[in-house]
Amino acid sequence: MNDRWFLWLAVVSYAVSGVLTLYRLRRSQASSATNSLNYATMLAGFAAHTAFLYARGQIVQRCPLTNAFETTIFIMWAAVLFYLLIGPAYRVSFLGAFTAPVVLVIALIALLGLDDTPHGASANRSPWVDFHAAIAILACGAFALAFVTGLMYLIQERQLKSRKLTSSFLLLPSIEQLEVINFRLILLGFMMLTAGMVGGVVSYKIVGHWTVPKITWAVGAWLAYATIVTGRWWQDWRGKRLVQFSMVLFVLVLVTYWVVSRLGSFHGGPP
Amino acid sequence: VNLLLVGLNHRTAPVAVRERLAFAPAKLGEATCNLLGVAQVQEAAILSTCNRVEIYSLTAQPDEAAPAIRQFLHHHHRLTESVDAHLYELRDADCVRHLWEVVCGLDSMVLGETEIFGQVKNAYAAAQLAGATGMALNRLFQKAFAGAKQIRTQTGIARGSTSVGNVAVDLAEKIFRELKPCTVMVVGTGEISEATAKALSSRGAGTLLVCSRTQERAEALAGQLGGRTISYDDWPANFPIVDIVISATAAPHPIITREKLLPLMKLRRQRPLFLIDLAVPRDVERACGELENVYLYDMDDLQTIAQENRAARERELAAAHRLIAQHMAHYLQWFAANRAALAARRRLAPTLQTPAIAT
Repeated sequence: MNDRWFLWLAVVSYAVSGVLTLYRLRRSQASSATNSLNYATMLAGFAAHTAFLYARGQIVQRCPLTNAFETTIFIMWAAVLFYLLIGPAYRVSFLGAFTAPVVLVIALIALLGLDDTPHGASANRSPWVDFHAAIAILACGAFALAFVTGLMYLIQERQLKSRKLTSSFLLLPSIEQLEVINFRLILLGFMMLTAGMVGGVVSYKIVGHWTVPKITWAVGAWLAYATIVTGRWWQDWRGKRLVQFSMVLFVLVLVTYWVVSRLGSFHGGPP
Repeated sequence: VNLLLVGLNHRTAPVAVRERLAFAPAKLGEATCNLLGVAQVQEAAILSTCNRVEIYSLTAQPDEAAPAIRQFLHHHHRLTESVDAHLYELRDADCVRHLWEVVCGLDSMVLGETEIFGQVKNAYAAAQLAGATGMALNRLFQKAFAGAKQIRTQTGIARGSTSVGNVAVDLAEKIFRELKPCTVMVVGTGEISEATAKALSSRGAGTLLVCSRTQERAEALAGQLGGRTISYDDWPANFPIVDIVISATAAPHPIITREKLLPLMKLRRQRPLFLIDLAVPRDVERACGELENVYLYDMDDLQTIAQENRAARERELAAAHRLIAQHMAHYLQWFAANRAALAARRRLAPTLQTPAIAT
């Protein structure tokens, strides 16, 4: 499909962004110019990414969430969107340098490994269906970026614990800041996931089909993230363990989603 | 005309000599003016710090000006014995290169230190205010300042802290989001623990608690940094509110052990804890560092990092010199092109009159 070329363009931009900034990180060259360069290339990638989703939307005549490939690409789009929004606000140096490779790898897995057969428009349409799907996707985007901050946390934590500090150590944000952003993203994602599930219930009442794997997947993910949120609030769960837990959870949610969607269309037939 | 530098630094002169040649900041302007007119010195600037005294000048007669400036130094400071053996003289390209190296901190005792940058700026400002600088020195200093900033960001010459106290602050900034809400507890006073507390406080650490077996010393440090003292026996009770502990007691055995710390971390609700153990023998059991959210650094760790940072700076020397050579070439080109014009610009007699010495 021709629209996939847009996606390859986005992938190349993200690759350029990642390679450039990681190279500079190794050379310990941190400056506002580095961050701006990273941001600009990410923005270019995001533009191509958006162009893909738009083109695909034109083809399938709806929000392009008709198969696992499209959904995964949409999640990565949301992750980049969150990066572009919170990166400058929190002044998290090198967040982009870590976002780019993560998005890149997942997008490549999707491009090379996931079945991409678009489903046509469904007769039984309700805006609630698109709403609940889109907001759940945004939630996953927030979780993806939380995964990125978690990755940065683990690197910084490891350096501090081992007492072996490379010069790039000085460029990464403090672990406390990374932990706070990590949790805020998870909280944001959790709230959106909750909204998405409410939307799902409403759309079920209107459209009326569902599958056991999908419901299990959604409820499982929601419960797991609810555990993180409550644990942090009421059990003083902090630091490395919580970050690791949230990272494993994200990978699990993504992979099980791919598996679940292979078991049949996510919504038990063309939605 | 030529650029001429006469001076001494920590490499050529012991502190006993350097302190006798130091210029009081208040008298810098006057002294600079007195230099003008001495053996056709057209422009001059005096740089005086605890590690160096250097006189930069522009003169049409360097062969006469050099001994005259030496004599000026002797007269001005009323020296009875000669310091000639400690003084060096550099001309033109060598003089320019030297200034660049000084401004970039390459000629400093601690390689790449940045304090010298401000000191040179002040020296230049004083000379400029006194009307002692002209086209040649103005351009020389301004280009050096701009270039030094560039060299500091493009090379790693000033990167990383090189003292134990500052390394500890760097680490604290990589653990905590901000130092402002952090509470620092100093257990046991001593030179290094006080220096570390000061470094943390100067970078914004909020609250300071001091406890020491010697009450006076604790009070002195608390008073100096706006903290408060607590009784030596009370320090474990304060643990829940503390974020950074600087420990430097003379205790023969570890005073903070894993068993003691484990329940305290619960009370702290697992907030990150930074333990800085400056005592020898050590105050904190090594196993404490294995606890989650606890970051333990002892004297050796901090010194190793400081040493590595120094070594890393040294590895950047070649790159810094390369950049200096590039920047210098521009200035020297300009200098050569404008030599005639500079020579023609005889300065008017300085405003703050009368040469202090008759040559």
